[in-house]
Amino acid sequence: MKLRNKTDGILNFSDYKKWYFKLFYAVLILVLLFIVFISVVPPLWVLISGFKDPSELFSPKFSFFPEHFRLSKIFDSWERLNVGKYYLNSIIVVAGSVVSAVLFNGLMAYVISVLKPAGHKIIYALLLMTMMIPAVTNMRTLLGNIAKLGLMQKYLPLWLSYGANVFYIVMFKTYFDSIPKPLIEAARLDGASNWQIFTRIVFPLSLPIVMVVSIFAINASWSDFLLPYLVLNSVPDKQTLMVRIYSVNMNPPSGMTQDQILMLIGLSIIPVLILFGIFQRQITDSVATTGIKE
Amino acid sequence: MPKIWKFIRKNAKAWAIMLPSLVLFAFYIWVPLFQNISLSFYKTVGTTKVKFVGLEQYRLLFQSADFLKALGNTFEYALWSLVIGFLLPIVIALILNEVVHLRGLFRTMIYFPNIVPGIAVAIMWTFLFDPNPYGVLNSLFKTNNLWLNNEKAVIPLIVFTLTWKGAGATSLIYLANLQTIDKVYYEAARLEGASAWQRFWHVTLPHLKGQIKLLLIVQIISVFQVFYEPLVMTKGGGPNGASSTLVQLIYQIAFEEFDAGKAAALSVIVALILFMLTGLYFYLSKERRKQHGEITK
Repeated sequence: MKLRNKTDGILNFSDYKKWYFKLFYAVLILVLLFIVFISVVPPLWVLISGFKDPSELFSPKFSFFPEHFRLSKIFDSWERLNVGKYYLNSIIVVAGSVVSAVLFNGLMAYVISVLKPAGHKIIYALLLMTMMIPAVTNMRTLLGNIAKLGLMQKYLPLWLSYGANVFYIVMFKTYFDSIPKPLIEAARLDGASNWQIFTRIVFPLSLPIVMVVSIFAINASWSDFLLPYLVLNSVPDKQTLMVRIYSVNMNPPSGMTQDQILMLIGLSIIPVLILFGIFQRQITDSVATTGIKE
Repeated sequence: MPKIWKFIRKNAKAWAIMLPSLVLFAFYIWVPLFQNISLSFYKTVGTTKVKFVGLEQYRLLFQSADFLKALGNTFEYALWSLVIGFLLPIVIALILNEVVHLRGLFRTMIYFPNIVPGIAVAIMWTFLFDPNPYGVLNSLFKTNNLWLNNEKAVIPLIVFTLTWKGAGATSLIYLANLQTIDKVYYEAARLEGASAWQRFWHVTLPHLKGQIKLLLIVQIISVFQVFYEPLVMTKGGGPNGASSTLVQLIYQIAFEEFDAGKAAALSVIVALILFMLTGLYFYLSKERRKQHGEITK
């Protein structure tokens, strides 16, 4: 019994000798189970309902599972809805975004946290002040500038947009700040250049944070929709999966049925599900320590 | 002269390293922001300035029914998000901190909704809230609710959707804070004969207070960023713009009505509000760190 050894928290082992605290504990567990149920079941419903027949989704009788479950439907839909192409486009966008998220924000944080040149405080303040301004407010003028540079319908502006993310800079900076300063001072006394300090000391020590930022950037750019939609709107062949889903949901092309839309959404969730399955520890730990959710 | 030269030489390398990142920030955030400010004083065709009109765009905004509706809605969103979304993460964190069985699994499952793509979440809940008799929740509970088509229910339902996605992640932030409470405080309280409720009220809550203040502001800020959900779930605002938000209105004016000047003016207003809230956030977080002794000067 774990309760008998519990020494932390508001209630400890001595409280749990009393029957009413045991009952209270059971209630807490039930509440958690209920919250887990609400968190997990809706996405499960989406994943499963993609396998239903269209008529089942229009039946007033609710059933969670499809009448006939054919796993091969996933492959049929994959081909019919051209999912492979949109997956590939999304993967291209994600790959470039991750590289630029790590490179540009990492370097900026390195300068602000370690090198600290004149003016670094002003720049950090400028970064933080614009942190909360939603992307939509800048979108019209930004898009005009992208068009002026001839970058519409290209992936480059999507990749580079991840290089200007204050949240990633804060994550990097928090981490760099925790690297012992004497280590860097000693290297400097030994005549190491800034570049050597970065490549030999700061970067190797920073692999965990590089990984965390990469995971966050993968998830964010896979889920991203606004800028990709506006930049790739007119070239259906280059659209990402999220842009495709949004367009299909807003104006369903003829022949697209509800179960197919659900299948498409299900297929968009599966990659992040796998990512989360592998890296859940790193993701939840990072949220806990930095307070940054995405 | 040599002094300036020395100053430049000392800093040049570091500046050079951050230059590419600075260019990106300028391009994606700062320049568009200033262009917006300038654009908001003009009458525009497309994004081309036609005529300087001073504060006319702002005056027109404050007279437009759409703007006033969206502004009012934003307050309604804020209110509902305090009712539905503010206490919940605190409660989840408190429970998670007490529970010793399957803690890791609970933590993971409760965080899970946060990684589901925003568009997928919005479309998923639109399916669940389908107002037809065959809609998921209607057929499950044998009801005939209008859900998102009900003008009175649409904002709470969208806030529910936001909370579904975000509450678990927020609770992990609170949980991390709860785990920094040294158990000697609870021991001391217990020796003084404090009941469980008193321990919660006099030990746990005061410790959590700074974090609660900070996340309250984050919660209010996040309300000003609501965009995907009304766009997708109510196809851009719902019955009589019942669920439209300021940010979604910016999108509508800029990309559906193609009035860049008006969109710029609205953007400036939203940016100003968020500047102030962000400033307040950093002020409070500095105060909090001072109290915890992390800042010495």
